[in-house]
Amino acid sequence: MTAEPPLDEMVSGGQIRPHWRRVFGTVSDLGAETLAERGRHLDRLLTEEGLTSLLPGESPVRLRCDPIPLLLNAAEFAELEAGLAQRAELLERVLADIHGPQELLASGALPPAIVHANPAFLRSARMRLDGVEAPPQRPLHVYAADLLRGPDGAWRVLADRTADAAGAGYAIENRRALARALPELFRAERQVMRLEPFFEAWQDSLERLAPAGAAPTLALLTPGPADKLWFEHVVLARELSCALVQDGDLTVRDGILHVKTLNGLRRVAVLLRRQDGRTLDPLEQDPGSAGGGVPGLLDAARTGALCIVNAPGAGFAEAPALAAFLPALAPRLLGEALRLPGAEALWLAEEAARARVLADPGAWRLRSAQDGRARPVPIANLSAAGRARLLGLLAATPAGWIACAPVQPSVAPCLGPGGLVPQPVALRMFLLHDGTGWRAMPGGLGRALTEADAAAGRLPLHGLAKDVWVLAEDAYAEIRGPARAAAAPLPIRRAAGELPSRVADDFFWLGRYLERAEAAARLLRVTAERLDRPAPTPREQAEIRSLSECLIVAGLAMPEAVRGVGAGVLASELLVAARPGGALPGLLRQVSRIAERLRDRLTEEVHAIVGRGLAALVGTLEDLPPAHDPGRRGLEPLQDAMAVVLGFSATVAGLAAENMVRGGGRLFLDLGRRVERAQAVAAEIACLLDQPGATAQPARLEPGLRLALVLRDSVITYRSRYLSLLQPAPVLDLVLADEGNPRGLAFQLAAARDLLAGLGREGASEDPGLAASAGGLLDAARALPAEVAAAPDPGLAAAQLPPRLRGLATEVAGLSDGITRLYFALLPAPRSLGLEGEARRLRGAA
Amino acid sequence: MRFLVRHSTRYAYGSPVELAAHLLHLRPRPTPWQRVISEGLVAEPAPARRRDGLDHFGNPVTWLFLDTPHPAFEVTGEAVVEVRFPDPPPAAATPPWEWVARAAAQGGPDGFEAAEFALGSPMAPAHPAAGAYARESFAPARPVLEALLDLNARIGRDFAFRPGVTTVSTPVERVLATREGVCQDFTHLMVAGLRALGLPARYTSGYIRTRPAPGQQQRRGADQSHAWAGCWLGPMHGWVDLDPTNAMVVAEEHVLLGWGRDFGDVSPLRGVILGGGAHALSVSVDLQALR
Repeated sequence: MTAEPPLDEMVSGGQIRPHWRRVFGTVSDLGAETLAERGRHLDRLLTEEGLTSLLPGESPVRLRCDPIPLLLNAAEFAELEAGLAQRAELLERVLADIHGPQELLASGALPPAIVHANPAFLRSARMRLDGVEAPPQRPLHVYAADLLRGPDGAWRVLADRTADAAGAGYAIENRRALARALPELFRAERQVMRLEPFFEAWQDSLERLAPAGAAPTLALLTPGPADKLWFEHVVLARELSCALVQDGDLTVRDGILHVKTLNGLRRVAVLLRRQDGRTLDPLEQDPGSAGGGVPGLLDAARTGALCIVNAPGAGFAEAPALAAFLPALAPRLLGEALRLPGAEALWLAEEAARARVLADPGAWRLRSAQDGRARPVPIANLSAAGRARLLGLLAATPAGWIACAPVQPSVAPCLGPGGLVPQPVALRMFLLHDGTGWRAMPGGLGRALTEADAAAGRLPLHGLAKDVWVLAEDAYAEIRGPARAAAAPLPIRRAAGELPSRVADDFFWLGRYLERAEAAARLLRVTAERLDRPAPTPREQAEIRSLSECLIVAGLAMPEAVRGVGAGVLASELLVAARPGGALPGLLRQVSRIAERLRDRLTEEVHAIVGRGLAALVGTLEDLPPAHDPGRRGLEPLQDAMAVVLGFSATVAGLAAENMVRGGGRLFLDLGRRVERAQAVAAEIACLLDQPGATAQPARLEPGLRLALVLRDSVITYRSRYLSLLQPAPVLDLVLADEGNPRGLAFQLAAARDLLAGLGREGASEDPGLAASAGGLLDAARALPAEVAAAPDPGLAAAQLPPRLRGLATEVAGLSDGITRLYFALLPAPRSLGLEGEARRLRGAA
Repeated sequence: MRFLVRHSTRYAYGSPVELAAHLLHLRPRPTPWQRVISEGLVAEPAPARRRDGLDHFGNPVTWLFLDTPHPAFEVTGEAVVEVRFPDPPPAAATPPWEWVARAAAQGGPDGFEAAEFALGSPMAPAHPAAGAYARESFAPARPVLEALLDLNARIGRDFAFRPGVTTVSTPVERVLATREGVCQDFTHLMVAGLRALGLPARYTSGYIRTRPAPGQQQRRGADQSHAWAGCWLGPMHGWVDLDPTNAMVVAEEHVLLGWGRDFGDVSPLRGVILGGGAHALSVSVDLQALR
């Protein structure tokens, strides 16, 4: 460690630096207590936003933001912008050369071991087509760099980010959350430059990259919700008005990239990729690469029919070894000296460099020469054995390592438990080439480093972020860059047809799982209520037997666990189904998983409410008493918990009705609910009419009929129509044939028929077939109670219905399959021929 | 020598393939010593799109894209080439092998292209065991070609040519342990061993004549794709082609398709299909001398 004290961003010579004065003044006026409260508010806002997973066993990514911003004045920002613009330019020249003529290698300016040994060097980026001029594409469109400021006041680049330049989405989310949590700061300091113009320019310049003659349709390719930067992808897709797509949504036909929608294929002109360049096209992957990708994607890019940003292979510029050569490359390629120095770096393939490092190993950190995302290792912190092992590795593969000198990071005020404390900070800045030149986002992603982070020279992925403020000299900062491209007027569209098939599929299953969870909660509650009654009557015992059968049919219990068991055993089975690990939390997990995948399709409000609701539900289910020992309150807590589940379901249904545009996703959400409920009602009524001995003695049907009303939430309606006399035909009419009963079968089938007909009418894939089959099922459902009413012995007729109701349930399942085939069928996953290999982990970034 | 090459590959699928993309290294690479007189590729069904180009190593490549359902796919490459691999220099006159390794490590105008082939690759890593096997031929300061010829002969002697015991992805250490395999395995082994010593070696894909020349024995690896090793002798002498499967120096019984770091770079036909179920593959190769 250098002995020099770190530079303080806020304080200089015992004085608050001028550009910090207003912020410092406001923070002081607020006082420690208010500030702490605002910090918690900020945490809550971001937790809600960043909520990625709500169920036990999956740890959500935690993004926290410090309420004190990191301030840069106009001069500091201008210097950084100029330095980073030059660096981006230089890295572009290097990338263009190594993926092209390789003059840097031929002249010896870059050693081959730096290029060819790097697993992220993308050989397919050098492929050339006969008779096709390489499209005039910049290797970089966005660029990010991590910087630290040393005690001498100079910023130093610690790492370059060229594959995806991730983090801009976090930066704007931090800014918005901070503005909500601490509006006073923004009122006091009016010179803060806004971030939105940067994103507008970004979207504009992406659209400008569209090949001539193609509509500027943008898509952001994400690896999906499992990726640790999923949140960023969702935010960016929203800010840049890109479709958020995964490789399964895409297909290349005749050299053109398309996204598969309900209406067929829609062209994509510009692809903002957030997937490693090595996994974009399975046809040109090394054997054993992670898989995935879209066959033909690179071909589409080579002919210029598609623009991929950043260009595949751009991640090569992240190689730390390259940084050691930049000071020499800048004069050679740009004719000027490097403006913004990196931390001092030595490539250890050179003997003199090795000798220097071995003479004083404690003063250096070792980094992989190739993988800019691997953590640096401070030799000084290692045990004697660890140090020997590392030096052994270094001797065996010297070209694989660089040594870099530590930079003592500057400190900035952060909110600690007892007030403001200076903490080491790192800064990630983002640059964009807007078609005329490089411009930096007037802000960035600041990160507070713990002592351990700072000493290890690594940047934490999680932990405490800081909003970065650039203070304009002039409050009306100039608008730079080219004028906005004029867009052709959009055709008016109302149909669901533009919805990607995968998204429609997700909405459909979100509807099905929500409904399934609700039905499960209702069944568990009704059963628990009966079990909690002391000394059940024979009628109640018959009801409990019927409910057990319903539990089996609904997949909430195993037959051997609930058939012929006592009330105590059955009670604990109910708890097993509801407690963590049981069937009900499993359904909620599916709801959460799909809601997360649909995140860019739900409004923030809907997503936040669903997220909060699910989080509360999980907590409630976790608090249930253990199954083996329900305790003194019996099943009462279970009944209460199920009421919470039902409340949640009602909230989501209401939100959908009030907040979502009909058509599109909403239509498929509704369709999923209707289909699921129709299938469940038919199966449930079959189960309830299946009373032992009922065909001989139809009076035995009574408990089943009563339960049918209870489970279909129709007791009050029945009573108001028929008072209290239970008869098969009126009961079955209400739960099977009455189209006005939203919990009955006919309602679901009529709604499904209308939804399917609507899909056809609005110009999406025409198919009267599905709507007609839903209509046919509706007629069949309506016929059943009519037959019972007309029969000489209605009880006997009702007792004979179960096989036909089960048949109806099967046909509803068939309808669901038909919907899947017609609307969602994705292409099968690509398979490789001719090459195989063990899957390997990708190192570095391409 | 003038040859007519015909190489057919046929995939029969269990169910129709909806979409397919194929990347072919099936057109012979022209070089100063191999003239491609005519060439043609025929695919059945005809592709919706065909693109020709050059890969990173300078080999001719062809992309074929099919977007209508097809129950089978067959592609045939046919070419007439005139080829005479250059004679290697006198072995004793070549530089010590350590000198060649150093020249590769230095890169620069004379060595940077060769240097890439001194580095391990996915299917031919610089494997220490392969290096230990190779090293027996590389006494200190031994002229590099002498050592290479010795290694080439040893592999031919020590390893049994046995089709069917290995697959395209059998790792070098397995081949080293079982001492059997086919041309691809022996080439990967030789390349991996040389790389472990810091020497550039490339995987070369091509063919060997189906019927031996009069007075010559039947060669191993005929009737199918063949492979051998290209070995670097330093900036002065360039490359020499050695066929460890037949323990011979490549001269006028071979036809070159192209070269790369390993089989993965120059696989004659690789593809990605959507749908298709199980598939059956049949390959036929014929290399006729034309006079």
